[in-house]
Amino acid sequence: MGVESQTILVVGGGIAGITAAVEAAETGYEVVLLEKEPSLGGRVTKLNRYFPKLCHPTCGLEINYQRIKKTPRINVMTMSTVAAVSGEKGNFTVSVKRAPRFVNANCTACGECTKATSIEISNDFNYGLDTLKGAYLPHEHAFPMRYVIAPEAIKADGEAIKAACKYDAIDLDDAGETFDLNIGAIIWATGWQPYDANKLTMYGYEMADVINNVEMERLASHDGPTKGKILRPSNGEEPKKIALVQCAGSRDYNHLPYCSRICCLGSLKHAAYIREQYADAEVDIYYIDIRAHDKLESFYVKLKNDPQVNFIKSKPARIEADENGNPVICGEDTISRDVYATPYDLVVLATGMEPSTVCGKPPVEIEEDEYGFLVPKAGEVDGQISAGVASGPLDVSMSVQSATAAALKAIQAVRSNS
Amino acid sequence: MNAVSPTPTKKYDLSFARWVRDNIDGGDRMNMCMQCGVCSGSCPLSDQMDLGPRKIFMMVRAGMKEAVLKSNSFFQCVSCYNCVVRCPREVPVKYILHGLGRLAIQEGYQDKKDVANARFADAFWWSVTTFGKTDERLVPTLYFFSAGFVEGIKKSLANLKIALGMLKTKRMHIGMPHKTKNRGELKAILEKAVEIQARHEGGA
Repeated sequence: MGVESQTILVVGGGIAGITAAVEAAETGYEVVLLEKEPSLGGRVTKLNRYFPKLCHPTCGLEINYQRIKKTPRINVMTMSTVAAVSGEKGNFTVSVKRAPRFVNANCTACGECTKATSIEISNDFNYGLDTLKGAYLPHEHAFPMRYVIAPEAIKADGEAIKAACKYDAIDLDDAGETFDLNIGAIIWATGWQPYDANKLTMYGYEMADVINNVEMERLASHDGPTKGKILRPSNGEEPKKIALVQCAGSRDYNHLPYCSRICCLGSLKHAAYIREQYADAEVDIYYIDIRAHDKLESFYVKLKNDPQVNFIKSKPARIEADENGNPVICGEDTISRDVYATPYDLVVLATGMEPSTVCGKPPVEIEEDEYGFLVPKAGEVDGQISAGVASGPLDVSMSVQSATAAALKAIQAVRSNS
Repeated sequence: MNAVSPTPTKKYDLSFARWVRDNIDGGDRMNMCMQCGVCSGSCPLSDQMDLGPRKIFMMVRAGMKEAVLKSNSFFQCVSCYNCVVRCPREVPVKYILHGLGRLAIQEGYQDKKDVANARFADAFWWSVTTFGKTDERLVPTLYFFSAGFVEGIKKSLANLKIALGMLKTKRMHIGMPHKTKNRGELKAILEKAVEIQARHEGGA
């Protein structure tokens, strides 16, 4: 049987999906890139900086967006998810479901629609730390640079929004759609989500001043809820004593049994953010082991030499509120064997990564490991490949490597019996 | 767990960790310990313990048999199970501690007369096996006098007020100890338990 389709479908438009799509398309293959959010970039675009060089993710993403724009063979579909998959390698029929955006390609991102609605919605880009208007640009570096209207804003102010748009870009009747694609191979780059810190019942995440690591990224970002100033969520004051708690969920049979790999460097990076903003702030890092592997160790050594960054070898037992509502970390220092209870202004839980697929399995049979990561063993034979954190906990550079490998496997798959 | 560890007199014994793994209830998971400190941090009595569970596990691995078995930590444990449910590596901390505590007494590293919990356990066990119930007068009395006659009088007098209060509110009765029905069955159950334990130790 000959190959009917050589089109490669990439599910997920994060750093891994973008990389896989660009790599495959630049070698001459037709690629469809699906993203469920209104813009590409995934988790990476929500980061403030990368470790270890502390450069901004916008830089690398911009290069990739340019590559997408210059490659006509990539078809980017945002707000789209896979509803069903049937068939086999070379001849998959993939049913794609597109959610309504209510804005068409005429949009110039002028922002007049935002002024026309009074509806406020939770800002998912900032992990719900603030709100935004119901007619919005996902974020300032959005690709595609196009507004989105929330269904509740359409319901409340639809006509006013349509009247405000000078470019006839508002489509009030957009009901989304479902359509089929003929696909040769599928790359699952569905990524990850931060482990829900509410499940860490002893770590007091319900306290305002106990946040997780992805929220810390938003606090430190110039387009975040605090315009890049790291402030206590409870009262907006500058924190003086900050704790970073490692392995919040990871390496724990009660939660995520595996090491999420990125959190140690992530927290070292957070310590660097804090020290950059506050000359007199003190940072305590609670850890089991600092896993700064290979070249990343120099970043660890740099932070270790900072006298205001303390490393405390201990997995905290619990985080309580004192009489003023400030978080207090309690546990045993495993070097001195002292039992401590130390108050902080701000506590950052380094929550681990769990595969996004725990909240919605791909509608197709695909091999998983014991933790739910997608690990198809013979992707180039079966036409289904995983890339990035969908395949295991990886940092950005390792995700990019994995995505490049996935692109090659997908190409092998669609070429193998042509 | 009545098996005697191989070298009861050695201060250091490098085979101790292996012996604990093979003979102590839950000891087979002790090698999962990654020294994070959650057990000692979660323990409500950690500040009363000289070593605490995490350090004990490290010392067992280091073969510091004598230092481990002279620890007070085993007898501070109130079996609240915080350590067991919180341990990120599913080490049944409490079980191992209890096993080591029993070994410490059995091999003479600690004397029962110094360990109030062990003497209380004896009194408790005597009452349960004899009557099938704990007698609220005999258990404390036996325990008070287990530390010696003078100490027994002292402790009894110190608790007299409580005892009278309990009598008044009918929390303590006068007369013969209450007994369970069918104590022959209880005896058979206990004998079976001893037999099972012996079989397990025979196989270890």
